[in-house]
Amino acid sequence: MTTTNSPLLKVSGLKKYFPVGGGFLRKPHNFIHAVDDLNFEIPSGGSMGLVGESGCGKTTTGKLLVRLYEPTDGHILIQDEQGNLEDIAYRKGASMKAFRRRVQMIFQDPYESLNPRRTIYDTVAEPLAVQGIGNISEREERVATLLERVGLTPATSFMFRFPHELSGGQRQRIAIARALVVNPSFIVADEPTSMLDVSIRTGVMNLMMELAAEMNVSYLYITHDLAVARYMCDTIGVMYLGKIVEQAPTEELLHQPQHPYTRALISAVPIPDPRIKRQVIDIKGGISAPIDPPPHCRFYARCPLADETCRDRPHPPLQDKGNGHLVACYKV
Amino acid sequence: MNNTAHTTSSAPTSLWKMRLRLMRKSLKTGWDIFKENPVGMVGLVIIVFFALLAILHPILMATVWDPGTYDPITGYDFKTLIHPSPPSWLPQPDNPMYKPSFRHILGTDPLGRDVLSQLMYSTRSEFLLGVGAALVTVLIATTVGAVSAYYGGLIDILFMRMADVMMMLPFIAILIVLSSLFQFKMIHLAIVYGILAGFGGTTIVIKSQALTIKVKSYIEAARIAGGGDGHIIFTHLVPNLLPLSFLYMMFTVTGAIFSEAVLSFFGLLDIRMSWGLMIQTAQAAGYLLNSWKYWYLMFPAGLSITLLCAAFYLVGRAMDEVVNPRLRKR
Amino acid sequence: MSKETPILAVENLVMHYTTRKGDVSAIDGVTFSLEKGHSLGLVGESGCGKTSIAFSLMRLLPDNAKIKQGSIFIDGEDIITMSYDQLLKFRWRKIAMVFQAAMNALNPVYTVGDQIVEALDLHDMIKNKAEAEERVAELFELVGLDPALMHRYPHEFSGGMRQRAVIAMALSCEPDIIIADEPTTALDVIVQDRILREMKKIQQKLGMSMIYISHDIAVIAEVSDHIGVMYAGRMAELASGVDIFERPLHPYTYALMRAFPSIKGEKHDLTTLPGEPPDLLYPPTGCRFHPRCPFATDICKEKQPPFENVGGEHYVACWHPMEVHNDHH
Repeated sequence: MTTTNSPLLKVSGLKKYFPVGGGFLRKPHNFIHAVDDLNFEIPSGGSMGLVGESGCGKTTTGKLLVRLYEPTDGHILIQDEQGNLEDIAYRKGASMKAFRRRVQMIFQDPYESLNPRRTIYDTVAEPLAVQGIGNISEREERVATLLERVGLTPATSFMFRFPHELSGGQRQRIAIARALVVNPSFIVADEPTSMLDVSIRTGVMNLMMELAAEMNVSYLYITHDLAVARYMCDTIGVMYLGKIVEQAPTEELLHQPQHPYTRALISAVPIPDPRIKRQVIDIKGGISAPIDPPPHCRFYARCPLADETCRDRPHPPLQDKGNGHLVACYKV
Repeated sequence: MNNTAHTTSSAPTSLWKMRLRLMRKSLKTGWDIFKENPVGMVGLVIIVFFALLAILHPILMATVWDPGTYDPITGYDFKTLIHPSPPSWLPQPDNPMYKPSFRHILGTDPLGRDVLSQLMYSTRSEFLLGVGAALVTVLIATTVGAVSAYYGGLIDILFMRMADVMMMLPFIAILIVLSSLFQFKMIHLAIVYGILAGFGGTTIVIKSQALTIKVKSYIEAARIAGGGDGHIIFTHLVPNLLPLSFLYMMFTVTGAIFSEAVLSFFGLLDIRMSWGLMIQTAQAAGYLLNSWKYWYLMFPAGLSITLLCAAFYLVGRAMDEVVNPRLRKR
Repeated sequence: MSKETPILAVENLVMHYTTRKGDVSAIDGVTFSLEKGHSLGLVGESGCGKTSIAFSLMRLLPDNAKIKQGSIFIDGEDIITMSYDQLLKFRWRKIAMVFQAAMNALNPVYTVGDQIVEALDLHDMIKNKAEAEERVAELFELVGLDPALMHRYPHEFSGGMRQRAVIAMALSCEPDIIIADEPTTALDVIVQDRILREMKKIQQKLGMSMIYISHDIAVIAEVSDHIGVMYAGRMAELASGVDIFERPLHPYTYALMRAFPSIKGEKHDLTTLPGEPPDLLYPPTGCRFHPRCPFATDICKEKQPPFENVGGEHYVACWHPMEVHNDHH
């Protein structure tokens, strides 16, 4: 069905600037560069993790890919049914609706992502209903099959319940079912397990991976937790203030981090084992909103390696250091 | 729920029945919370009491009450010579019939009509007025609030400034002017009041609620599902606003009934009988200055206005607890 | 743990919340103690009772909470029988708490410094304004904040700075015990790491005792000498950090650790526990873990396992602790 050499999703030069201040009939003077010139590809059936601290632009990226936001600049190319790449970055109207069948999203908060006044059936069947796919009994069957597949058995005992009668883990399973109901080829998962308890979280993560493999769905997994990204993804991109600063296959990135920010990030992750003492790489300062950032490297102010080169030259481009290990730094 | 496990073939009917059952269930949980609130129950009892009065009136007219004597508008009791009595500076005839008696439980009005019958007859139109105005308000406020919150921008600015203007206008004064310019019947009052209230304060409250719903991720999920603006507004925003709208409906009823009383008192409504008109009749015949003696000309109507207004307000307050889980006791 | 009298001893604590549906058995017979200068981590999922324990220790429980049984000895005094006035003197001086939501713990209309001064003043820790400022500056430095920031308002602080300010406030009356309830949950890893290290340093420097509460076993492993694993209102296992990781005896502890992904070591599959934590309105009979336990037998359904010492400082409440042990070796 898909041609193996072309990626499922290709993002190039993707930018999203949010105006700060301004208002009705008044032009804003400043812009938050929430996502600034992203370039990456996800192969068919592949998975990529987007990791970073809050405010780094990872959620904005996810929302751009599902076109909840319109990009300021750049292209989002995704395979259509025939396997050709089409640019959906500025798409509107009826052709948008067809795109909506191919890309879906799973949200972070299972308590907010399900309408409290709609039954589980209504929620899961919603994409089918608004897309006009199938008749009512077909929809009901599809929903029932999926609910059983995500572990809510028997489906009939869940279909006509309301979200508040279910636990967080069950709700997130419903969100997964809703995302999969239209047979998408790509899913953006925005921290889908960060609000779940440990013993439930694992089940949801395993389920996501199983289903993605089974239904040949690629996904972008947005998380702040490197350990979760390691478990879920083939490649990881580390974001810092709207830029991907390092991107590599998962194990490579965790074991040979090259960008100073990635190193600091990895060294700060607590290890669930008191016998292991980790070495600490501290970086100064804290993260701040990228409002009209200076042209030099975004990490310049906090970087332990920074010198004049970093100050005088523009933000370093992502360069391949071999094995698909991309780093945006002049100093490595 | 187990019995529906094998009815996939008859899906449409089972869906339908399920929905009805769910609705009943949610009504029941709402009722369980409501009935624990004494304030709300008092309000509800009062409303039921007045509803019974309204229902009872045509029955009484058809059975025990002779229309010639008891009709609220054209009735006249020939057994009472002067109704109810001449003003105090005139000689007082010794006729007990005008006062409350077994024959006329709340006495008769200055035109010789039975007060109880008038009171009961008016109840129906007060209900219709209140509920009619409330429906108009809720319809407007919910739609405008949802649309305004969802689209934001120019539409929002337009509606919100309009709401500001509505809030600045003195309600009663506007109604007095309007009803003196046009022939106002109850239905007109209901619509005008509904519009004034609907575009005014209620919209602002509902819009602010809509704003908190708009940012929930299920709205985003609906958009990703492919839902258009109309779908999102009417299947996601509005259903979540309805409980609040319903609550404000209760408060609108109170306002509408009250404004009717004021307008009727000034004789500005083109209606044949209402609680406000009953007071106006007493006032026009000069009995308002002596209400201790002729209490039955004033108090039944006045008390009914107060009670029914209060009742809807109390029910609204109690419903607030059903609608806002945060106000609930554990 | 028997060398000297512990600074904190909780014995058979039972606490219920009354709700409209009935009693929720939030804490059911929890026993543990904490020695001076040591740190204990309580780990468990939401609803396991870890935060309820913290609020019980502070006697800051909501109105619908009832302590049914048990005692809490802090420095030899039972705080459950204490009067309100005694408690006021006791709280913050003997035991203080760092709350989960730092933003809610700070009043937005006062400067951060003033709020700490108020706490000091309430407990007669200071005599005059100059002394107060000096003390606040000292506290700010202790938690790694610039003393110049004391005249700022909470909204001018970042999340990490706020958390530090809340820690400074908890330290203000020099308590013997500090309870930290998910102090870093809302923070990013780099900031979390800094604050955890800071807290550990302060604890060692001042010789305080600490109770860390978290759902994250990795965080707990980093900061505490002893770890208590809680499940459904009961303590499942309590041991030194190393023992918990090397020799987990309770099936729940074992499952919890197998469910946590790590960035170190070999990548392994994460195991899933079937089911969900029980509704404590209707807690399971016997061992509360039995509906999810792969080793459960009849006795687990019928009788509550005793919380027993199995050697050293290792306590466990399980009828079949060894089965797990054998299984994973």
